[in-house]
Amino acid sequence: MTLFILLLIPLFGGLLAWYSERFNADLPKKIALGSLLSCWLPLTPLLNSMSFDANSLGASQWLLNESYHWIPLFNINTHLALDGLSLLLIVLTLLMGLVALSSAWCEITKRTGLFYLNLLWTLAGVLGVFLAIDLFLFFVFWEVMLVPMYFLISIWGYENRHYAAFKFFIFTQTGGLLMLLSLCALVGIHYQQTGILTFNYNILIQNPISGDLAFWVALGFTIAFLVKLPALPFHSWLPDAHTQAPTAASVILAAVLLKTGGYGIIRFVLPLFPEASLALAPFMMLIGVIGIIYGAMMAFVQTDLKRLVAYSSVSHMGFVLLGCFAFNIYALQGAVMQMLAHGISTSALFVLVGMIQHRYHTRDLNKLGGLWINLPKLSAFGLFFGIASLGMPGLGNFVAEFLILVGSFAQYPKLTLFAASGLILAAVYSLLLIYKTFFGQIKPSHESKISDTNTKEWCTLISMCFILIYLGLHPQPFFDLVPFSLMKLSFISANIGALL
Amino acid sequence: MNVYYYPAFILMFAALMILIQLCFKRSHITSYLISGLSLFIALFMQFFLQNQPTSQTNNSNVLFIFNAQTSFVAFLLLMVVGLIWVQLYNWLKTINEQKEEYYLLFLLTTIGGLIMVSSNHFASFFLGLELMSLSFVGLIAYCGHDQKAQEAGIKYLILSAIASAFILMGAALLYLQFGSLSFSELLQNTSSQILPQWAVIIAIIFIFTGLFFKLSLVPCHLWVADLFEGAPLVTAAMLATLSKLAVFIILWRLVTLGNWQQYQIIIDILSIVAIASMFIGNFLGLLQKNLLRLIAYSSIAHFGYLLIVLLLINNHAISFTSQSFNTQTLFFYLVAYLFTLVGVFSIFMQLPKTKTVDDLSGLFWHKPLIAITLMLLMLSLAGIPLTLGFMAKFYLVMAAVSQQLWLVLAALVISSIIGLFYYLRVIMAMLKTPEDELKFNNINSDSNSLSLNLLILFLVIGFGVFPSSLSQFIQQLTG
Repeated sequence: MTLFILLLIPLFGGLLAWYSERFNADLPKKIALGSLLSCWLPLTPLLNSMSFDANSLGASQWLLNESYHWIPLFNINTHLALDGLSLLLIVLTLLMGLVALSSAWCEITKRTGLFYLNLLWTLAGVLGVFLAIDLFLFFVFWEVMLVPMYFLISIWGYENRHYAAFKFFIFTQTGGLLMLLSLCALVGIHYQQTGILTFNYNILIQNPISGDLAFWVALGFTIAFLVKLPALPFHSWLPDAHTQAPTAASVILAAVLLKTGGYGIIRFVLPLFPEASLALAPFMMLIGVIGIIYGAMMAFVQTDLKRLVAYSSVSHMGFVLLGCFAFNIYALQGAVMQMLAHGISTSALFVLVGMIQHRYHTRDLNKLGGLWINLPKLSAFGLFFGIASLGMPGLGNFVAEFLILVGSFAQYPKLTLFAASGLILAAVYSLLLIYKTFFGQIKPSHESKISDTNTKEWCTLISMCFILIYLGLHPQPFFDLVPFSLMKLSFISANIGALL
Repeated sequence: MNVYYYPAFILMFAALMILIQLCFKRSHITSYLISGLSLFIALFMQFFLQNQPTSQTNNSNVLFIFNAQTSFVAFLLLMVVGLIWVQLYNWLKTINEQKEEYYLLFLLTTIGGLIMVSSNHFASFFLGLELMSLSFVGLIAYCGHDQKAQEAGIKYLILSAIASAFILMGAALLYLQFGSLSFSELLQNTSSQILPQWAVIIAIIFIFTGLFFKLSLVPCHLWVADLFEGAPLVTAAMLATLSKLAVFIILWRLVTLGNWQQYQIIIDILSIVAIASMFIGNFLGLLQKNLLRLIAYSSIAHFGYLLIVLLLINNHAISFTSQSFNTQTLFFYLVAYLFTLVGVFSIFMQLPKTKTVDDLSGLFWHKPLIAITLMLLMLSLAGIPLTLGFMAKFYLVMAAVSQQLWLVLAALVISSIIGLFYYLRVIMAMLKTPEDELKFNNINSDSNSLSLNLLILFLVIGFGVFPSSLSQFIQQLTG
């Protein structure tokens, strides 16, 4: 029941928060905080017992495995399971949920109850995505988490919010429908080949489907995940959604929603379709590299701070795609690390942009400047996270990008050369962001009375700094957690020499 | 006499009672109660007939066929009508005409529908169809002072007469070939081919044309939006649910019994009509500002999706599901779509002044329950998970994937995305900040409509999240 309780806490917390608005407009956020903190309770025995040692992971892939019947006609179960990879992402989700809450604390003043309902339900949906092992259940969570996110953007967003929410929903739904189709096809083909009608991941993975159709099924899944990642041709919803969303929603989007795409590829596409993903790999690597360079170049020309950070996300997630399809254990570990590090550094940047906007009522790079004089603490954090985003050694992002590049260089040296140039471009736009915002001329229009970070903001940001430094200096515990779920993929990397 | 006739007889009796009552004294509430009581008893009886062992007379010339499936469809039909009836009283109070005759016509259409869904013979089918269509003409043109309603009534009269003529012609041609008007006879392929094959195909196409008219599938869809807009709201609801359910059941039975899949051209026509309905329905829905027109086009698209079920019958390409799964898909989709649609209409009845999508703006902030219900219904129509509409779509995709109908599936996916645009527009309109604070103050939110909304939410979300009881019930039904 542990995993179900983990899902139910935010769901009920959300309802409670909504209802409590009748009594006091401040109550919902406290309830939201309470329910997010109590989400850690079901996890604590787990975190204690294994305490980051690899031995307890060796026993079986799943640390927790819970299944109940749901729709017997199709043999669909509500099957939740947790392994090292999902544990990492769940911890990330819960942490970033707290960060989002902290940034929403003072920013959201209207309709607070409904806001926290949607926030918590989005988080519940994401948790469900990371936990669901039944493919049908996974699909349900995948689709359902979009609905509260849509409301978050379209009710509390900025001026152009309806358009952005609309675009976000349509793009991701299109991917979702493709996935539904591929899902049914996968189950159908599996039934033909083995005579078992099942949506269970553990069973489907034992007999990877083959044949012509498998390629198309794999492509359907991959496109659905690419939309969410987002990779190049499908990325255009991201800058709009990020720009228009309230800060808390941006944090959730950048930190966890994008990670569901990478998670989907690692968890589902690679193990379920080994042959097809080998065939897809060169193309996906190419998309990844183009995404890295294109995202970085687009980030460079933006004048809107949020858009800049959003395009830097496109660039960083290109590395994830690169790492996933390199079929190399280093690259895969790098991809997982990149998801964690990017989740933290980018959401920190969004939090910072939110703070700047809260104080100066603009995100336009041309209207900002010289913040360091007025806001030394905030600017110092800005410098830190800007540098983290460009991949400074010693921080999580560097470890991730380095591993991805090392891993994929073995298979695709030329593409990796181009991908590596993304690091230089990242330095260019990150430094530009730092320079234009925190240094340079003080723009005259700002009134003098602007307060620096308060204790709550300071605590949020400093803890994110420490996590990034920890990821950068001592990443081994995280690698120990991950490999078991990636071990299944290693047979591919053993064979890859023969095939390529 | 067969117990299966009782529900229809009860309704007929009630219709007569209302007629007699009209001779003596007009009383709105009495007519309301008579019709309601009869519907309730009929529903109750139908529910118990569900478990009744079927009387196997096996006389192929009988006019009606009664088995678990037809009982279920009749039950579904009565339930839909009952849900519409609940709101009828409050709605009728707002119009200026005499009110009692509406109940009379209302019951007559229901009887027509009941006759159709269990008919096994062209004669009974045609009688039911005409009873339903002619009562509909009265229901559509009920508001005599409304120009649009008059126009819609005339349109429906003429078009349904043409459609009936087509069906009659087709039936006559089939009679020439098979020597019988019974549906069961269609199954027996006579060895002696009296007519050339093209004549049989033309007969089938004639019948299809008539039925497509009633279902407003694409080449025959032009009337539907004007009618939904012009007709009184309850009539539009009846047209969208009762009439389409009854006609689709007939279409399905004809295709199943007739073994018409042997003609490739019939399959082609069905595929083309299905794909065209999905695309044109959703595209035209995109352009609409009026809510009822929007629903009209969305219903074209939904029946386009439903036509996929007909393509699956007796199609043994590569199948991992049994033949009965197609039937299950059909029933599940009908249940899901009809409940959702009835819900949408009952919400519209609670918002009497709302005509266009823009009129809805800000509803969410004033009447959250109504807005949330409408939102979830729209999500159900769009097929977002955890709603009944999604489960129906899932059934459909599973059934179609199992027989590898990639072309129609591609059309289904693409047109669903197009459809999403306008369903989202409705939701978005409700979320906008309202400019007029007093706009929704006149909405009556009495306990009656409140409980109805909760019932709809329970059906659409409850069965959407836990569909297993419904799916098991339908599975037993199809054996």
